[in-house]
Amino acid sequence: MDDGQQDLEHGNTLLMASAGGDRGAFHRLYLREAPRLLALARRFTGDSGAAEDAVQETFVQAWSNADRFHSERGSARAWLHGILRLRLLSQYRGARHQRHDDLPGDDWPDPGPSPEQCSLDERRDRALRLCLRGLRGERRRPILMAFYLGYTYEQIAEHLAVPLGTIKSRIRSGLKGLEECLRL
Amino acid sequence: MIPDHPQERRLLIAEYVLGLHQGERVQEIERWLALDAEAARLAQHWREAWTGAAELLPEERLPPHLWRRVARQAGLAQPWWRAGWASASLWRTVSAALLVAVVLLAGPLRAPAPVYTVVLQAPGEAANPGWRVTVSDNGDLRLTPLVEGQYASDRSVQFWTLENNAPGPRSLGLVQPGRTLVIPASQVGGVESGQLFELTLEPQGGSPKDRPTGPVLFIGRAVEI
Repeated sequence: MDDGQQDLEHGNTLLMASAGGDRGAFHRLYLREAPRLLALARRFTGDSGAAEDAVQETFVQAWSNADRFHSERGSARAWLHGILRLRLLSQYRGARHQRHDDLPGDDWPDPGPSPEQCSLDERRDRALRLCLRGLRGERRRPILMAFYLGYTYEQIAEHLAVPLGTIKSRIRSGLKGLEECLRL
Repeated sequence: MIPDHPQERRLLIAEYVLGLHQGERVQEIERWLALDAEAARLAQHWREAWTGAAELLPEERLPPHLWRRVARQAGLAQPWWRAGWASASLWRTVSAALLVAVVLLAGPLRAPAPVYTVVLQAPGEAANPGWRVTVSDNGDLRLTPLVEGQYASDRSVQFWTLENNAPGPRSLGLVQPGRTLVIPASQVGGVESGQLFELTLEPQGGSPKDRPTGPVLFIGRAVEI
């Protein structure tokens, strides 16, 4: 098992201990996962206070529902991200109406004419980063806008000034490429 | 309506996890995922994968007040009269009294304003403070000596904390007797009321184990200001 996998397993252990009422484990889980969740929430909302509120609610909900986590279904990290994302999408979807030109991965060069490379990495989170690099910019950018900013198809089309049908086609092609690359 | 074609179904799951659908469409998809184990598994694989995109962002420094808010709302921050530690009230009273004395002696505390303080005292000598700990609003910790200390040259003084309900103490590093030590928030982690801090006398270079092995020189618990 590599370090990254051990890291995920440790997160699972901490969340399961939290389900048993171990406050110390829950605090350690918070220290491990909250910095990235806060970064994601801040990027999504564009507002520090809203981002902190979202992360606070995520961990309060995680503490209350920790007994519903099952490690055989996924990692604690993905579970926490799922809670945060639901909250962000329901409350702050598309809140950032400015500045979608600084998204991580948006400035990667196009992969060129060679066939898209499939990732052999067993860790899907790491593989995704490689697979995103394999997408052409016109497909990658709207996908990043959906992920980091919570934009809908319509909002993406509006912000990029591209017809809705074209955006749908690009996103779906991009998602299909990611699916193949990730071997899902 | 959930499509019949396998590739369309897979795309719908990818779009759903990315958050491209809203309202009743989301509810329809979630009802489907609740009934179709294979579809639910694919959705979970996408969720795992997208955590990787979050790692493209630089980590945010956690403001100390955020954990306090989480703890308070989740009911983790126990009132002192319910805390399991038998002498909590004694610690609190003694620390508060000593804090007043220390502030009077040392002058007003400078900005950034501390949000926690700990008066470390020799075990069993409640009126004999040896060090003062302050944790500022940005989470940085300052350990300030109040007494001169001299120890054998083959010994080191090591600083520890025991987070509430943690299985064991965590080292915060070695301390030079008589010198102030500042530890950044990233090393300190979150601090809570009642959190234990102590200085122990260890072999030169620090404890050979991941826990204290020598006698406690000074000890105290965090008090929120």
